[in-house]
Amino acid sequence: MSRQRSMETILASEYVSIGELVRLTDSRYSTLKFYTEEGMLPFEQAEENLTRRYKREDTVARILRIKKLKSTGLSIPQIKEALNMGE
Amino acid sequence: MTSLKLGQSFSMIALNAQRSLEMTTAKKVALRCMAAAVILEIYLDGGFTQTGNQFVLNQDMLEQSQSMPYREVILTSIVRKNTETTGELSWWLKKASRLPERILRKLELVISDSLKEMSLLEEIPHILGCDLYFHSAGVDIKEYRSDIQGFSTITESTRAELLEDGLVTDETICLVWLLRESGCMLDFFSRSELASISAGMYKLYQNEPLAKVLFPIRIHSGIELILKKLLRMKTGVVRTQAGSGMNFLFPMLERSQAIFIDTEQMLPNAVKRLHDVRARLESKGHTVTVLHKGQIPTIKVDNLVYEAIPHAIYGRVPIHGVRLIPKPLF
Repeated sequence: MSRQRSMETILASEYVSIGELVRLTDSRYSTLKFYTEEGMLPFEQAEENLTRRYKREDTVARILRIKKLKSTGLSIPQIKEALNMGE
Repeated sequence: MTSLKLGQSFSMIALNAQRSLEMTTAKKVALRCMAAAVILEIYLDGGFTQTGNQFVLNQDMLEQSQSMPYREVILTSIVRKNTETTGELSWWLKKASRLPERILRKLELVISDSLKEMSLLEEIPHILGCDLYFHSAGVDIKEYRSDIQGFSTITESTRAELLEDGLVTDETICLVWLLRESGCMLDFFSRSELASISAGMYKLYQNEPLAKVLFPIRIHSGIELILKKLLRMKTGVVRTQAGSGMNFLFPMLERSQAIFIDTEQMLPNAVKRLHDVRARLESKGHTVTVLHKGQIPTIKVDNLVYEAIPHAIYGRVPIHGVRLIPKPLF
């Protein structure tokens, strides 16, 4: 039995799930899944548990940055390039 | 966004795009499921003591519910008629979902008022009011619209949990059951996604104690059951322990509607058509987002996606315009 974590708990934890990222950033699930598959959102995956875990602070900042870049009219390859340059 | 209780978040989904002034069949189904959602919310909050299959309502829950009026409406209505407060989960859910219409109406009022206070729900003119005939006749039809951001946060985080590998929380198990019982599965999952949802629900049914108790419970009744029987032969394709295929295949209680919007000009081009459609919808208070332009544009009206197909109706004179048809997700 597991319960949904409250927003306070999520905001205090180091790692979050993709569902919690949706709640944190008001993004669509399919969008975040696409970003993950494109390698734009790094994650950790423990072997015994298939859940993808994302570092909360880094990932939320990254999603916000992607949104900002997207609003300036950049395409996905250009956003990927910009993200890689920033690292 | 503030964390909502199960009853509140399901109500945002259930009431969205429902008529607010009249009691339609679709709204009755939604209200029945909202009543069941309140029971599940109390269960999740530890309001029941479980001994074997029996769920006993904790006495303090009745007192506490006074601060949450929608819980009070349901609990007092069930408990008033039954001195005993013990039963299986299915007994509780069926009792709640079969409450008389006047109680369901009361629940609708109480819960919609609380959501309106939080600015998560509003009443707007119904999309049907934009239809040529309704618009020109001046008929007033109103509908509920959930806060677009809040609505998508609830539905998208549920989709994420169900479609992603890993743990599924109790809230999501309850929510997917409620979506199935209210016939809304196709509103949120595409046909290809439904296959994995169906498999995922079967896995939950096997592994999760809550899903094992909850998924076999049905709160459908009356006309839905008859429709279900008529279409039974077509349900085999996706029949699983977790759900017979009715709701997976046929959205029998379609909440979105196809409407016709006339354009100012005869034989207008795509840009003018879209402009006229947008102007009509926005004049009635709807939020319109164009998702895809072109000969047949895709537009999002409030929380629902439509295709704007050029169309004409023929009476004494032909009237050119656009038929807005709900777009399937697949």
